[in-house]
Amino acid sequence: MKVLVAAKRVVDYNVNVRVLSDESGVDLNNVKMSVNPFDEIAIEEAVRLKEAGQAEEVIVVSVGTSACQEQIRTALALGADRGILVETDEEVQPLGIAKVLKAIMDKEQPEIVIAGKQAIDGDNSQTGQMLAALGGYGQATFASEVELGDGTATVTREIDGGLETITVKLPAVITTDLRLNEPRYASLPNIMKAKKKPIDTYTPADLGVDVTPSIKTLKVSPPAERQAGIVVETVEELVDKLKNEAKVI
Amino acid sequence: MMANSLASDLAAIVGDANIATSTGDLEAYGRDWTRFYQPDPSMVVFPKTAEQLVQLVAIANERHLALVPSGGRTGLSGGAVAREREIVVSFDRMNRIHSFDPVDHTVLVEPGVVTASLQAYAEDQSLAYPVDFASAGSSQIGGNIATNAGGIKVLRYGLTRDQIAGLKVVTGKGDVLNLNQGLIKNATGYDLRHLFIGSEGTLGFIVEATIRLSAPPPDLNVLLLAVPGMDSVMRVFDVFRRKASLTAFEFFSDQAMNHVLSHQNIGAPFGDRSDYYVLLELEETSLEGAMTAFEACLEEGTVIDGVVSQSEQQRVDLWRYREGISESITPHTPYKNDLAVRISRVPEFLAAVSDTVSARYPDFELIWFGHIGDGNLHLNILRPADWSIESFKAECDSVSDEVMAVVARFEGSVSAEHGVGLLKRDQLHFSRSPAEIEMMLGLKQVFDPNNVMNPGKLLPR
Ligand SMILES: Cc1cc2nc3c(=O)[nH]c(=O)nc-3n(C[C@H](O)[C@H](O)[C@H](O)COP(=O)(O)OP(=O)(O)OC[C@H]3O[C@@H](n4cnc5c(N)ncnc54)[C@H](O)[C@@H]3O)c2cc1C
Repeated sequence: MKVLVAAKRVVDYNVNVRVLSDESGVDLNNVKMSVNPFDEIAIEEAVRLKEAGQAEEVIVVSVGTSACQEQIRTALALGADRGILVETDEEVQPLGIAKVLKAIMDKEQPEIVIAGKQAIDGDNSQTGQMLAALGGYGQATFASEVELGDGTATVTREIDGGLETITVKLPAVITTDLRLNEPRYASLPNIMKAKKKPIDTYTPADLGVDVTPSIKTLKVSPPAERQAGIVVETVEELVDKLKNEAKVI
Repeated sequence: MMANSLASDLAAIVGDANIATSTGDLEAYGRDWTRFYQPDPSMVVFPKTAEQLVQLVAIANERHLALVPSGGRTGLSGGAVAREREIVVSFDRMNRIHSFDPVDHTVLVEPGVVTASLQAYAEDQSLAYPVDFASAGSSQIGGNIATNAGGIKVLRYGLTRDQIAGLKVVTGKGDVLNLNQGLIKNATGYDLRHLFIGSEGTLGFIVEATIRLSAPPPDLNVLLLAVPGMDSVMRVFDVFRRKASLTAFEFFSDQAMNHVLSHQNIGAPFGDRSDYYVLLELEETSLEGAMTAFEACLEEGTVIDGVVSQSEQQRVDLWRYREGISESITPHTPYKNDLAVRISRVPEFLAAVSDTVSARYPDFELIWFGHIGDGNLHLNILRPADWSIESFKAECDSVSDEVMAVVARFEGSVSAEHGVGLLKRDQLHFSRSPAEIEMMLGLKQVFDPNNVMNPGKLLPR
């Protein structure tokens, strides 16, 4: 069985992003980029399936600029077998990425696609769902446990206030939640070996996919700044402030 | 009555609101991070200006009082301990950041500024204050200067000493000295600034500092390596140092790893275990060079395995294996030593110290870790569960002189970065010759003729 994993290059989770002064977006100049944390979990899950003998091949796909090779190399070091870079300098939105992934599915015929439940840059949580709809595949989102059966996957989903367990037919799209697994570190010997693993490169056009954005960003603004705290001198002053300024009592 | 008149005289200087005498305050302000001494100060004062400190020193000289400068009280050698009715002079309320000079890249601060606040302030200027360690959230710049604090980035940015462009001090005699005034070049004889850095409050009060800020750090990566022996650790340091721009080079033993894994509830970083581990931090731009270095070491067998951070979160997580050690061994009331030798002598030194301790106490567990890129080794001796704290400390004290004799034989330091204070005072002679100590006492006489500044600390009385 083949497993396809999607890995997006995003601004590192720990970076304090700054909004551009013209409010057109966030400043990406000299900002540290990493694999989307939910995709790290997806890679780990795929590699575990392979280690458990349930998958023969793990293919990792990334859509974006040539710099995405870095993230593909990371996935290869973690245990994926080969990579596919769909290279474009356009800003690619969830629908565009879903279409690209659909085209790769047609080409590679994997039984399972594992992707993050969302990418931490756009926070859209759409790609996996759109891909399932485009291809008519099974769909199991927000997975915290995955078990493969005969032509099926039984997936525990994290839903509001509890867990839901569903069984989907393969091929299916599974999107990962935080508790699915704990990703391993990339081992240096494996990074050395991963240098020899192949990465194929296509453009969206090669795949016959149009990734022109369909959503236009009007404005990006930073969250309101929190005001610094003050020290009150007396209980009376505190009560007064709670009453008349904060208006909470 | 005497005490009362003293209190009112001090209150006349700093104001009633800036004196504390409650039992709780006396206890809290009478001790630092060490727990071996019973705090017993007579009172605590919180001056707000250099002028007030001049007046405090004048009264102290007049009445032969003892003053203990007190910063964040995170010191590990008892430097800020007051146990003999001294007056604690706390800098908690002298904590303003005065001004930043965008051309000089210096900032003028009062000594009570908390280290982490200075780091945050520097970041706001798109610069960095690169001295960092686990206690930075509580320690103060004045205390850092008085102990010449080091930490985890010394390899790249140096010690506190290397960031200080100028100091204003009030000496024990009452003189106000403006030392070096922020200059980079100043070839006009003795640089008294450097005498005050690391003086542990024995010469005078640091009342203002001009601090150089650095360019913000580039993106960093952490490598954690499994290494078969101490000689390999040194070899790995040599190989990586040639190929990559390192910001940290730390090591720890497999015993230390065991404690972290069971205490912090985190998984092992890789399958293979080894006797030692090395944590290297480097600038992302030299990752390529680091890979070449790793390949070379793997080939020759000086590393067995290794992992590298792929994100900022992983960088922080990998540091936990090293930074979690202190906390993990705390339940075993460790007897701590902070030793330094020349980097090249580390393996031989470590073996000699281990032999010395094990020969007498084969069942004491030794935990080694440290900033080995600086030749700085932390040796922690763990208390076996069936030993009482008292008898354990007494035994360790008695073996301590043997350990320090080894330090002396290797021409090392009995205190790498934690100062001398009370804890190491009687062992100073293992690192400093009688002539040197004589000279240090002479210097103290010059700045503090009546011995009002932190008496009994650092130097023999
Ligand atoms: C968890 C932990 C980790 C640590 N890690 C490190 C580390 O990695 N590297 C390191 O170097 N240290 C480390 N330390 C030790 C400690 O944090 C440093 O020695 C620090 O510099 C002490 O600063 P402080 O403000 O707490 O000083 P205090 O403990 O209050 O005082 C230290 C000495 O400075 C004197 N002093 C304080 N302020 C002044 C002043 N304004 N003028 C004159 N003298 C003054 C005091 O009298 C005393 O002798 C660590 C401590 C802890 C608890």
